[in-house]
Amino acid sequence: MKIDNTLPLEYSTEQNRMNVLGFWIFLGAEVMLFATLFATYFTLAHRTGNGPSGAEIFEIAPVLIETFLLLTSSFTIGLGVHAMRLGRKNAMIAFFAVTLLLGLAFLGVEIYEFTHYVHIGAGLQTSAFTAILLTTLGTHGAHVTLGLFWGLFIILQVKKRGLTPETANKSFIFSLYWHFLDVVWIFIFSFVYLKGMM
Amino acid sequence: MSELFPRKQVMGFVFSLVLTAAALTVYFMDLSFAVGMTVLLVTAFVQAAVQLVVFMHAGETDDKVAIYMNIYYGVAIALVTIFGTLLILVWDM
Repeated sequence: MKIDNTLPLEYSTEQNRMNVLGFWIFLGAEVMLFATLFATYFTLAHRTGNGPSGAEIFEIAPVLIETFLLLTSSFTIGLGVHAMRLGRKNAMIAFFAVTLLLGLAFLGVEIYEFTHYVHIGAGLQTSAFTAILLTTLGTHGAHVTLGLFWGLFIILQVKKRGLTPETANKSFIFSLYWHFLDVVWIFIFSFVYLKGMM
Repeated sequence: MSELFPRKQVMGFVFSLVLTAAALTVYFMDLSFAVGMTVLLVTAFVQAAVQLVVFMHAGETDDKVAIYMNIYYGVAIALVTIFGTLLILVWDM
């Protein structure tokens, strides 16, 4: 394995660079996946049937809390990657742990939101609008849930094996995934919630 | 300690918060639909760009061109999907 020491650890081998590029291609496909959900959402947003409309069920407080949690977690994982590049293993693990805690808090608020919707009669089967709303939010939430487990395993592996070209590469790729989730949330925040409450 | 908080990323975070606050004007102020959507489109896409460049280090290696081409491709397909759907099913053109 040829290691190039002029680059950060996560790019230091040919394999590592290919892994990062490959993950970007995966994220490109994810962009398209969420695009289909947004397209369907915009089409069905006003098909509320006998159910409530977005303006009637959206609340600004939980949405703002979710946005702030995810935005901050995106910042802390960025700091985690920065610490990793400085070779500060413990600082990196701490930042990654904070990121996952913020992600967990986000998920907690989202689960509260979902139970609240079902409680006030806006379940998955209420109308075309609620169906696509919960599918879009749920797909993002499922990604966050997966990310929580993935991140946990990354932390455990870095703890056990230390910072090697391999673990650094995995950690960096996980950070790409996490930032991507924040990007998707920005669009949900803007074009589902704020547009709905405008 | 301060070496753990690089200026670029702290500024990126502050900028994201400012953009979020700017997007909130559509909720707190009584804007027309066109103005509100313009505000949201600008703040959302600028914020996505901040994430890509500051936090995801998209332009750091020799793969820069391939990574950006891939992002443009994904976004182009996304926009065609969304606006194509809107054109046919919502705007009825």
